[in-house]
Amino acid sequence: MTTLTQTFKIPESIKKGSKFSFCPGCDHGVAVRLVAEVLDELGLREKTIAVASIGCSVTLYDFLEVDSLEAPHGRALAEATGIKRARPDKFVFTYQGDGDFASIGMAESMHCALRGENVTAICINNTTYGMTGGQLGPTTLIGQVTTTSPTGRNVEYYGYPIKIAEHIALCDGTAYSARVSLDTVPNIRKAKAAIKKAFEIQQQGLGFSFVEILATCPTNWKKSPQKAHERVREEMMPIYKPGIYKDITANN
Amino acid sequence: MTECLTKTSKKVLTKGNYAIANAAVLAGCECYFGYPITPQSEIGEFMSGKMQELKRAYVSAESELAAINMVLGACATGAKAMTSSSSCAVALMQEALSYAASDELPIVLVSVMRGGPGLGNIYPSQGDYNQATIGGGNGDYKMIVLAPATVQECVDLTYKAFYLAHKYKNPTVLLADGLLGQMMEPVEFKEYPYPEVDNSDWALTGAKNRPGRIIRSYAPSADNQCEFLNKLHAKYKLIEENETEWEEINTEDADIILVSFGSPARNAKSAMKECRKLGLKVGLLRPITLFPFPSKRIAELAEKTKKFISVEINMGQMIRDIKLAVNGKAQVELLNRPVGNPPSVEEIVEKIKKESGV
Amino acid sequence: MEKNFIIAGFGGQGVLLAGEVLANAFMLDDKNVTWYPSYGAEMRGGTVNCEIVMNDSGDVSSVNKAETDFILALNQASFDRFLPKVKKGGWMIANSTLVEEKKSRDDINYFFVPVTKLADELGNSKMTNILSLGVLAKISKLTSLDTLEKALDNVLPAHRKNLLPLNCKALKIGYEYDLSAVK
Repeated sequence: MTTLTQTFKIPESIKKGSKFSFCPGCDHGVAVRLVAEVLDELGLREKTIAVASIGCSVTLYDFLEVDSLEAPHGRALAEATGIKRARPDKFVFTYQGDGDFASIGMAESMHCALRGENVTAICINNTTYGMTGGQLGPTTLIGQVTTTSPTGRNVEYYGYPIKIAEHIALCDGTAYSARVSLDTVPNIRKAKAAIKKAFEIQQQGLGFSFVEILATCPTNWKKSPQKAHERVREEMMPIYKPGIYKDITANN
Repeated sequence: MTECLTKTSKKVLTKGNYAIANAAVLAGCECYFGYPITPQSEIGEFMSGKMQELKRAYVSAESELAAINMVLGACATGAKAMTSSSSCAVALMQEALSYAASDELPIVLVSVMRGGPGLGNIYPSQGDYNQATIGGGNGDYKMIVLAPATVQECVDLTYKAFYLAHKYKNPTVLLADGLLGQMMEPVEFKEYPYPEVDNSDWALTGAKNRPGRIIRSYAPSADNQCEFLNKLHAKYKLIEENETEWEEINTEDADIILVSFGSPARNAKSAMKECRKLGLKVGLLRPITLFPFPSKRIAELAEKTKKFISVEINMGQMIRDIKLAVNGKAQVELLNRPVGNPPSVEEIVEKIKKESGV
Repeated sequence: MEKNFIIAGFGGQGVLLAGEVLANAFMLDDKNVTWYPSYGAEMRGGTVNCEIVMNDSGDVSSVNKAETDFILALNQASFDRFLPKVKKGGWMIANSTLVEEKKSRDDINYFFVPVTKLADELGNSKMTNILSLGVLAKISKLTSLDTLEKALDNVLPAHRKNLLPLNCKALKIGYEYDLSAVK
């Protein structure tokens, strides 16, 4: 006799009955689900305070059944610092876009890492400002066309894009810094492992943990979901190389 | 310098800034986040040592932007948290103050005013009356604003700021000036006199045995926003009804009423007394809460008083609120000093004489 | 009754501390008192001063007063700057080690004391401020040597308490300075 078991289910940390409102093919949905799975697996949901930031990432609080605070644009890690310092027993993470984390919020992000605040930051890097309609952001690649770089990003006018995970890894207060991608199933598994590692590092009180997630924005890139993932692989990953840039728990 | 400040019930001679900081500690402030700026740096200096000694939270923030947002984060968990700053740096905080008003977070901001606009200078000023009472942030919001005039009031109103912030879940500003911050007077640190406010129905503590809570200001639909703003302003009305506070002397028979807050109110009081000796019928009204402003009382007084004189260290900011309250029923004059120490008693007496036709 | 004092000198002479001791003494005498400094760019190098307003009628004192009852000037620049602020019938007490003994006003009382010289004789010119405070307090007749000694103890921070005996000695020399010996 064969018994059927459900092997794929909606995580407990996802709000019952909620439906993702992200655009078709957007990787935010995958990222939010991975966060929810890890919260479930580590039993963190009931002690979590999440910080949502401005941009598409703000809708995080509509999907996760956790306490959450919406930070002003760029200030998520200042809010997270305040929460963690006030309530060190809580689990605190931010969920931010690259514009929020590495442009308007660069000072807060860097200093949070430099102080070694015991919080986790997840940064979705899709090389554009998604919610406002696809403008040039801090991670927009050289040559990339956006609504504010109509002939492509050139260094003369726009300067260079930032490699976030590498910069964060340089901070003494950072315990963990990784870049992952969601373009294939094996990479999604790696992404989940990185999120889990980052969360565990906070649980162990080791300092700042950071995961940069390369993600699609099919709407603003004007590509199908499949083509968008091809772009992640072919254009983003050669520049923004996935990998673990710092892990103070690793044996060399 | 600071070690004697934890004593209670005996007077100690201390600066306004230390008085505020020590009162915050005694009020149970759990978190201080700040960035240095003259003339209030003593507050952060005191807090850096005292909070660590008491194993409470302290962060030397990378900017005022970060500092005020750390306060928002801490307050979202229901903690008593504060920052302190001055003029051009409080300007940097306006975005977060607007969020805090919208999020209904009980943040406490100590604003020790210096000269402006721009970098200005570090001399005393009341140039941020408008910044505090009208607000530099976006949207229709109000902060509770308390204005001490003595170092003892720096203590008493700091206690009150924490209480009102939590009672009404509203950002609350202690608005002092550089003179008060640097001034020493004997003060008594009595016990925090207010009850602790229960925040268990809104604070972020983790979604245990209940749905997740969201503290947010994003209101996607216009209808929601209308409902929210009406509710918010009903709260402001309640604050006006319950919490308006002022000091009033010799107004009953007064032909002229001086209106002044903070350090200039001290000189206005002395000038009022000098004028009484000269037989001039002069009274004083000193607003202690700037929001809520004692408009109703001023309107009553305007029925029988001929003239009001607003005494301020700015180009005339509170005078606008006085005029609104008086509503054309009496004359409203200004005696101001643009920046620096308050107008002297002699200057105020001269102004009163001139306005009395003596 | 309200009386006010200005103590002025150059940065490093300890005028703010002397003022704080005086304010502390008035507090110990159960009087209302307010101390506030001049501060800002002039703190470095130039003259520095503080004003102390004592009030024993239970009132909050006014500030930024046009005239001053007692002015203690520890250097020439302070003497020149504050001479016009002395109230008619008030006192200008000056450090004659550094200030020229010149009386250009006939409506005020002058008192010249070589305080820096006296402090040097005591063995530490840094005692100028407290020694001159003793003179000022004696002339004002508004507080006692005993109270001032307690105030000194209040004001000196823990890591400076070793200097308390020397400060008390300086205070006493100032307070007991022979007032009749001065022109």
